[in-house]
Amino acid sequence: MALEVYTLIVLSALAVIFAIGSLLSKDNFYSALYMSLTLVAVSGIYALVNLQEIFILITFIFVGAIGIVTVSLAAVYRFKPSLQLSKLWIIPSAITVVVLSYVYFTKVPVVVSAGKLSFHLDFGYVLLFSALTSLVVLLMLSVLSISRGGSGD
Amino acid sequence: MIDPVIDVATILITSVSILMIAYLMAISSKDLIRLLISLELMFASVFLALLPLFSIESLINESLGIAVITVFTSSSELLVLIATIVKLDKLKEDITTSSIFAGGEGL
Repeated sequence: MALEVYTLIVLSALAVIFAIGSLLSKDNFYSALYMSLTLVAVSGIYALVNLQEIFILITFIFVGAIGIVTVSLAAVYRFKPSLQLSKLWIIPSAITVVVLSYVYFTKVPVVVSAGKLSFHLDFGYVLLFSALTSLVVLLMLSVLSISRGGSGD
Repeated sequence: MIDPVIDVATILITSVSILMIAYLMAISSKDLIRLLISLELMFASVFLALLPLFSIESLINESLGIAVITVFTSSSELLVLIATIVKLDKLKEDITTSSIFAGGEGL
């Protein structure tokens, strides 16, 4: 097997292990940290297939901004709640594992080859980024207004 | 440029596994921070599910657009949830899910 395949398997396994750690961790703070590590592993898969633009977006926006806010919030509200998980959920989880295993071992070899992305800063992309950034700024202003006790109008 | 070729089944199975874990966390959460973390895990799963789109050469730039819009909209949604948590804590000094009533009637 090629080095990329090994790296993909390692990154995927790490993503799932960190997600399980986030589920099973009893402290909100560690749960948020594990969640950030899951996102780093996911963005690493994007970097593996030469999609550095998406890697930067996920790392900067999700891990850098939203992830840090979540970790800070979790550090403030550091509860240790017990899980309220019904044992009946073992049945759909087991069915999902069986279906996924069947799909994996009888799969048709479809490959992802994403090395030909041509990213140009043309007018369309600049317009898209400007529109989305304006919308996010408007949303942040509304959120600030609501948090300060206004009506959000 | 290096052109790595990787298996799509591994990516999609990882995506579904993370989604299942996030669902389990969402239904077992007792406070809103756990709910926020589970939502972020769901978005991680969505990002992984987007990856095979980039293997269609004629759609590669559209895929980038879809990915950018997904990142912006999901981060906006999380931002609203974070503001909601802060607001709920201000109003009720409690962020457990049991303190939330249907339709916000308790507010």
